[in-house]
Amino acid sequence: MMIQHTRRRALLKFTSNTLTNVFLIAYSVFCIFPIIWMILSSFKSSAEFNADIMAMPTSIKFSNYIDAFKTSNMGLYSLNSFFNALVSTVIVLFLAFIIGYFLARFSFTGKKFLTAFFMFGMLIPIHALLVPTFILFKKLNLFDQRFTLIIPYVAFGLPIAVFLFTSYIKGIPKELEEAAIIDGASFPKILFTIIFPVCRPIVLTIGILQFFSKWNEFPFALVLVNSEKYKTIPIGLRNFSGQYATNYPLLMAGLVLAIIPVILIYVIFNKKIIEGMTTGAVKG
Amino acid sequence: MGSIIFRKKKSTFLLFLLPGVIWYSFVTIIPLITSFSYSFFKWSGGPNKTFIGLDNFKMLLQDEIFWQAFKNNLLITLLCVIGQIGFALIISSLLSTKFVKFKNIHRSVIFFPVVLSTIIIGFIWTMMYNKDYGIVNWFLQFLHLDFLIKPWLDDPKIVMLSISLPIIWQYIGYYMVIIMAGMTNISNEVFEMAEIDGATGFRKLIHITLPLLKNTIMVCIMLCIAGNMQVFSHIFVMTSGGPGTSSMVMAMYSYEKSFSQYQLGYGSAISIGILVVSLAMVFISRKLLGGKNDDTAY
Repeated sequence: MMIQHTRRRALLKFTSNTLTNVFLIAYSVFCIFPIIWMILSSFKSSAEFNADIMAMPTSIKFSNYIDAFKTSNMGLYSLNSFFNALVSTVIVLFLAFIIGYFLARFSFTGKKFLTAFFMFGMLIPIHALLVPTFILFKKLNLFDQRFTLIIPYVAFGLPIAVFLFTSYIKGIPKELEEAAIIDGASFPKILFTIIFPVCRPIVLTIGILQFFSKWNEFPFALVLVNSEKYKTIPIGLRNFSGQYATNYPLLMAGLVLAIIPVILIYVIFNKKIIEGMTTGAVKG
Repeated sequence: MGSIIFRKKKSTFLLFLLPGVIWYSFVTIIPLITSFSYSFFKWSGGPNKTFIGLDNFKMLLQDEIFWQAFKNNLLITLLCVIGQIGFALIISSLLSTKFVKFKNIHRSVIFFPVVLSTIIIGFIWTMMYNKDYGIVNWFLQFLHLDFLIKPWLDDPKIVMLSISLPIIWQYIGYYMVIIMAGMTNISNEVFEMAEIDGATGFRKLIHITLPLLKNTIMVCIMLCIAGNMQVFSHIFVMTSGGPGTSSMVMAMYSYEKSFSQYQLGYGSAISIGILVVSLAMVFISRKLLGGKNDDTAY
């Protein structure tokens, strides 16, 4: 009797464990299935896709990718997105590092205000600023230029970067700078050759997060840029989808092109990315 | 001794801090101020700018579409709080159990949609929802649920649910990771004690995990509210607020008025409206949910 009872319990436990595992696997699949569907379909011809949307591609055809490049300025859009993302990420890192350092190391009048000021920036809904920014940029002749998007990208990247830098630098022992001062090093030298290298892990985290958010950014790119030569990937995709609304495999090839960099970086750095995004959010 | 070293001249402060502060103010504070001034004009972007006082705001208060959009924002927020945080709680408590395999892979995979552009998510789901070539209807057919097959984004009655699902789906991973971080702060002893007392599975979740995670969940709800007051790109891609205005949200409406109909004065007034309503929502939620509990939550 006793043995039977324990056996039954073990069996029950085994079943519930298996069910939990199966459920989680199913959910994980659900999370990436749309992307897999998109990638697989992008290798199909239009006729093949229309015949059966779920069938595996009969052969790996890159013709959609070639067409996506040929019929749209996908290459140019990617280059623009890359340029905007890279330049604004570098500027954010530079400015936020300095502000973060001052907030972490000094007490000065207006420090509380400065912190609150950056906090406020995280609360402002971006869409409340689209119209006035558009008007402002038009007036100052900043509208539709090579560097146009970098201006808001840097500004809206700053708050979170400043907070991550501040809390990281607070954890660095002050003895590091004290020793350098005794050695007679100048302030900028201390800042950039001693402290900055120590911050490397957080620089990488912030850098990736910033790059992603700029690469993906849509509302400002939609409103502040007009010329074909400055358009970024999200805007390009929008035009592309309007043109080829009915050719799904071609459209999917375009979408895949846009997310390849994201997938690559995510595969390598996913732990850092997850950590950075969630601490940043909670601290804010 | 250390304090002497960490002292700098005022000019040094200004030199190092000003560039960042000015850059930041230029795109946040200045537009906010100018936005106020434009909202008192009737203006379509050209040279004719007529001062109309508070008329734009009067119009906004009576603008049914704006308030419908606000209600839609609230509905999406509600669905997201239930869907995202609820589901994230279930997934994270399952993931925290001992016998689950491939924990890190699950975590990375479930989080993946979070890093994708909202535009991309919008496009993928538009295709998934397509009546003839979408996988949603394909699955329903596969499961012999043909009667459920619908034009998901074209039916005003269900369009709000249809557009909320991708938003919920995209960010479950985000809240999952935050909740899991909160869970690691609960000591294992608590769970072990509970298990000895015979609490398992669902009961453990309700009676032990939830109360101890209260602060974390509050933070999640606030993030959810703040995020969904801004929802735009998903909807821009999937429906642009349609059919009609049935899936209109505030940001979409402001965009449409300002950039499709060139009512820049009224668009500015809507912007102010969005700002006020969003900040009010964030403020109210903080008050209701008991202030800022970040430190204890993380």
